[in-house]
Amino acid sequence: MTALVFDGSFDGFLSVVHACYYEKLDPISIQPAEILTLMDEARYIETHQANAAQVYAAIKNKISPEVAYTVYVASLSPEEDRYTALLAYIRLGFKVGHMVGSHLQVEYVRRVRDLHRQAAGEAHLLFGFSRFVETASGVFYCQITPRNNVLPLVADHFTRRFMNQQWIIHDKAHNQAAVYDGKSYVIAQNPGDADVTLAAHEEETQDLWVAFWDALSIESRKNWKLQRQLLPIYFRKNMTEFTRQRPIKKPPGDIGRFIEG
Amino acid sequence: MDVMEKLTILADAAKYDVACTSSGNNRGPQEGMLGHAVSCGICHSFTADGRCVSLLKLLQSNMCIYDCQYCHNRRSNDVQRATFTPHEVAELTMRFYQRNYIEGLFLSSAVVKNADYTMEMIIETLRLVREEYRFGGYIHVKAIPGADKALIHRAGLLADRISVNIELPSQASLAKLAPEKTKETILTPMKYLKDGIIQSKNELTLYRHAPKFAPAGQSTQMIVGASPESDSKIVTLAEGLYNKYKLKRVFYSAYIPVNPNMPMASPPLTREHRLYQADWLLRVYGFSAGELFSDADENLSLDVDPKCHWALKNPQFFPVEIMTADFKTLLRVPGIGRISAEKIVAARRVGKLDFNDLKKMRVVLKRAKYFLTCSGKVFEKYHQSTIAARLKDGTDFQQLNLLEQPPGIGMETQTASMFVGDKATFSSHDTASSTGLILPVSHQKGAAI
Repeated sequence: MTALVFDGSFDGFLSVVHACYYEKLDPISIQPAEILTLMDEARYIETHQANAAQVYAAIKNKISPEVAYTVYVASLSPEEDRYTALLAYIRLGFKVGHMVGSHLQVEYVRRVRDLHRQAAGEAHLLFGFSRFVETASGVFYCQITPRNNVLPLVADHFTRRFMNQQWIIHDKAHNQAAVYDGKSYVIAQNPGDADVTLAAHEEETQDLWVAFWDALSIESRKNWKLQRQLLPIYFRKNMTEFTRQRPIKKPPGDIGRFIEG
Repeated sequence: MDVMEKLTILADAAKYDVACTSSGNNRGPQEGMLGHAVSCGICHSFTADGRCVSLLKLLQSNMCIYDCQYCHNRRSNDVQRATFTPHEVAELTMRFYQRNYIEGLFLSSAVVKNADYTMEMIIETLRLVREEYRFGGYIHVKAIPGADKALIHRAGLLADRISVNIELPSQASLAKLAPEKTKETILTPMKYLKDGIIQSKNELTLYRHAPKFAPAGQSTQMIVGASPESDSKIVTLAEGLYNKYKLKRVFYSAYIPVNPNMPMASPPLTREHRLYQADWLLRVYGFSAGELFSDADENLSLDVDPKCHWALKNPQFFPVEIMTADFKTLLRVPGIGRISAEKIVAARRVGKLDFNDLKKMRVVLKRAKYFLTCSGKVFEKYHQSTIAARLKDGTDFQQLNLLEQPPGIGMETQTASMFVGDKATFSSHDTASSTGLILPVSHQKGAAI
């Protein structure tokens, strides 16, 4: 019964799983090293690429590729108990096989389902809610502040969508950025501030979009509660239609542009 | 007139078209094209009325030759008129798409000069967007009723989804409110689209590179409440469209009186909501239109949802045993949707389920509890006749206001105060109530109510 810490990466977590099996550990908690306090007594597990690959291949082959992907996506959530739930989930998976997701009577199976939903759900919303601006250099720049660490999922989506366009997605919440050069993307840690000098027609395009968006709502059917439910306020600070100044000043309530709660 | 002005006019004119879905087609990225389509669709924003903005919804032009009474753009209305050039639409689409504002383009138009001329204008825009601007995202296009088959075919090859608006649910109403449109001009292109879609699917199974014709299917829209048709008639019509014309979706739009001298007032929004619920019962839940209505009630109930209504009318199918009922039967339980039914079916394969498990699995029991048994056990005993009242929104529990007397308690409190005057309040005469609380004798009647 020990607490385990690791470097916080997904490979690090898989190395922890490896250690739990091969050294017969039964950790009471698994945490990234950075949130460890002085009071805690914990053992640090080194990240080994080979061990991680071995565990991932085992999950893929002995449980199922879908479960392997679920585990990966769930690990992107910010909840503190995610790694302990995932370890229990993987252990059950090795016992019962690909049906592990069906054991909804079991608490940690439900928990992993929720964690997966949380991360995958936010990623899906960001596929729609991310906004790019065209910079003078022709690179499209996008800023996001997600709660889950979903940058890889978002970057995968935009690799397919904007295949022949250079872009940068800057995740300010986790201080990392995905940089795409027209072929593949890399994720850079602590990227610093980007130089966002706008392209010539960028402002004009933003005005057009805002005008289009403002024209869309039907006055007699205002429903801000529904709007807030579908487009939570914490996304709005990065969205052009909410932040852009209108040429004619309208009260924000008029067109449902609330940014703060 | 500059693009900004045109955009404001023609987006405003198009906003009464309800469909804004970008779903139904999975198209991977292609070399040299910008964009792809995903079958679940993606919402990019939400307006103040809570509707999703997924597509750049525009009219090519609003200079209409028709005079439909429900329409904002009819020729006798004094509104600003504008027409986009194909180039302007293409430029807007690309710029918005590159910034991830939109999922694609939804292009419709008022009828300019005649149907064929309008359709040609739309096709020219689509061609420009697809072939010269190399746009690979989603395109939804409206087929203009009365346009030539060859033109509609060409549009279907360029777009993902194509739709013909049925506008009103009966011929009589069409004649009254949209005198220039007839049932034939609407249903003929619909039939043509259906045949085209089926043919294209067959060709694709034979030749992998056969051209795709409207791969995301066709849809339609009708206005509810502008004419006197009952819900029964509307839902039956929708069922016919799904079965005979293989439509992907029918959209309903509660009539908004945009023109001052229209005879009807706007119908309650709940009616639109109930119609959508009934529509999902048809498409996803395996119901037929006949089951939802009887001779006595031609309209959907505004108090409870259509599935609940059906369940109350058909108690012989309930209760349903959660451990053994098949998937289709579970889907018919009020309060259980696809996701819940899937969860139940998956979980019961590996272990027993009781009501507590269902709750933890987040199967919503608010309505379902009256219609389910778990291994033969009911949730709580209810008399059949009380279920209807409990299901009506808000009558199961009532939030009491601190300062208000709950109904029926006033009299009891009066007797209570007399009692208090007589004796000490918490005496040995006090007895335990059913909830385990010790109450003064005199309060008990009030608590029981």
